[in-house]
Amino acid sequence: MLARGLSRGWRGICGAALTGAPFSQVPSQVPRGLHCSVATHSSDSSLVPRPPEPLRQPAKPLSPHEELFRPAPDGARDKASFVRAVQNFGQHNVHKRGHVDFIYLALRKMRDYGVEKDLAVYNLLLDVFPKEVFRPRNVFQKIFVHYPRQQECGLAVLEQMENHGVMPNKETEFLLVQIFGRKSYPMLKFVRMKLWFSRFKNINPFPVPRDLPKDPVDLAVLGLRHIEPDLSARVTVYQTASSKDSTGTADPTQQHIVGIQSPDQQAALARHNPARPIFVEGPFSLWLRDRCVYYHILRADLVPPEEREVEEIPEEWNLYYPIQLDLKYGRGGWDDYEFDIDEGSSGELLASSSGLEEPSPPPPQEQEEEEDHTQRQQQGQS
Amino acid sequence: MALVHKLLNGSYILRKGLKPSVAACPFLSTRSADYCSSSLQKPVATPGKASTQRTAAGGLQEDQREVALDIPSPEEKPEVSFDKAIKDEIKEHFRRLKDEIVNHWIGPEGRPLQEIILEQARVVWQFRGKEDLDKWIVTSDKTIGGKSEVFLKMGKNNQSALLYGTLSSAAPQDGENSQSGYCAMISRIPRGAFERKKSYDWSQFNTLYLRVRGDGRPWMVNIREDTDIIQKTNQMYSYFMFTRGGPYWQEVKIPFSKFFFSNQGRIRDAQFQLLLDKISSIGFTLADKVDGPFFLEIDFIGVFADPAHTEEFAYENSPVLNPRLFK
Repeated sequence: MLARGLSRGWRGICGAALTGAPFSQVPSQVPRGLHCSVATHSSDSSLVPRPPEPLRQPAKPLSPHEELFRPAPDGARDKASFVRAVQNFGQHNVHKRGHVDFIYLALRKMRDYGVEKDLAVYNLLLDVFPKEVFRPRNVFQKIFVHYPRQQECGLAVLEQMENHGVMPNKETEFLLVQIFGRKSYPMLKFVRMKLWFSRFKNINPFPVPRDLPKDPVDLAVLGLRHIEPDLSARVTVYQTASSKDSTGTADPTQQHIVGIQSPDQQAALARHNPARPIFVEGPFSLWLRDRCVYYHILRADLVPPEEREVEEIPEEWNLYYPIQLDLKYGRGGWDDYEFDIDEGSSGELLASSSGLEEPSPPPPQEQEEEEDHTQRQQQGQS
Repeated sequence: MALVHKLLNGSYILRKGLKPSVAACPFLSTRSADYCSSSLQKPVATPGKASTQRTAAGGLQEDQREVALDIPSPEEKPEVSFDKAIKDEIKEHFRRLKDEIVNHWIGPEGRPLQEIILEQARVVWQFRGKEDLDKWIVTSDKTIGGKSEVFLKMGKNNQSALLYGTLSSAAPQDGENSQSGYCAMISRIPRGAFERKKSYDWSQFNTLYLRVRGDGRPWMVNIREDTDIIQKTNQMYSYFMFTRGGPYWQEVKIPFSKFFFSNQGRIRDAQFQLLLDKISSIGFTLADKVDGPFFLEIDFIGVFADPAHTEEFAYENSPVLNPRLFK
């Protein structure tokens, strides 16, 4: 009996946690369904059992509390209306019947209202649970999963928080302890979230800001600065002037070209022999969080070694300090950290840096990166 | 006989490469699609093809790989003789066995001992030709009914491999998966004579080195250990690889001490370091919940011994989550 009860609880938790679909409890305030059909059957005197009624399915079956999330007359779907909808649920019934379904529905609706990254809203949603009811009080309740559906629902809230990268705080912890007790699965998940989120918070060596700029020009500048490691690179923006005779349907963003070039690249371009071709390659995609930005590059082939000019550094420049240092730091002569990989022949393709010896190889290909933004190219993702 | 043997041993358990969410419940069992069972039907029906039987173990994803860049290269007609194919197969296996016995006298892995001992950087996978692409398998969530696509082909001038495709997080409407949207590139398990599983021994190295060029998306690197003695088919060690994007080649160095342990797609509470003496395969997964096209260009993958890295394992076990470890 113990094992059966345990397995039932496990399967329930597994199933719901996997699917995330609302596990509706027996709807207490919807009197139709099971009870109704039994009643009609008993009163029906015909011997032939009636065929099941064709389900009159609307385009999408409405969940029990969907009317709370109907858009307001002014149509604003923002945090305030979401909070109002959640608070309205508590006002209608003191005992909060159907709170599990409501919470699943609210989790699904969060994205439409744009509040999926808001911790206060998640805490408010956890507040919907009745407190102190689901805490196990004796050892038997502690062994079996006490109120498994509610625990799955709590887990679903935390899982959505985790999917959107929201870190829970002390208020969440207090709510979870109040609702489920300290040894429950939601509390366990909370502890794990705290642990692993704090471990992985800063592991991105190229962090992108959380709030990306809405202006496409600013986004382009951010993207170009992101890919260019040289900090002294200059960004230039060419923008068409906003036309005076603007039609009503004209796009608010003007056409623009944003470019970035570092001083080394500028010098290389100046040295470039006009007889050799320069290639414009692109568009390549660059993802900043969830927005995609396309860029082109301007490149030229490397000059073959026989034609390369060697710069002569006059002797007197080296008087106070050497202009060029060729040191191999620290390692013994027997150490060899190079990878035995055959590099591509320079001259035909983009030449790449030659191995692990050079600490920070300057880009041997000459480049000026520019970005061409027309409306059809940029794909903004929400 | 060789066909069936190959199919039975060429199975990969596909795991849902979701972002490492914390273990909500220790009794979860992710739905894993077995490659072998789905690919068993296809080649048995066509026993005559000699060219397809070598790639039969790869499963459904072989047809997703592009042949050439733009111009489809005309392939020679494969020989359709079953007996000849079987004979070639048997000869190949005996040749491999002979190589193994001979290599045993030269040194470990067929190279002289002093070379192996003094080695501090080793290139494990490089992408210089079609045969290098054959060592990898490409998967996506199409196996569970999703809509992501992924392809692998040689990059510019045969100097790199390009993994590209489109990610789509539309969940399959099959009632059991609520999330979707991943794609992965996994290396094949190295095989010896008669399809015996071999493993890599990287115990003298401590850092993984990748030369990649991405598009700014975060990838996950997964390492699987050898399942020769103990069945560990769903366990792997993972870490993240953040690509910068841009036209410059990026060197990614991940020390092996940073890999965390996960089972069945969930991070476990009890963490232990990755042991490097029997590594079976490595894989790259993209599942960052953002729909859209992606690409990753890989030049080579190597391992080296970073003398500056002295950390043994990066993650402590917590007494709150694992009281039994601290008794």
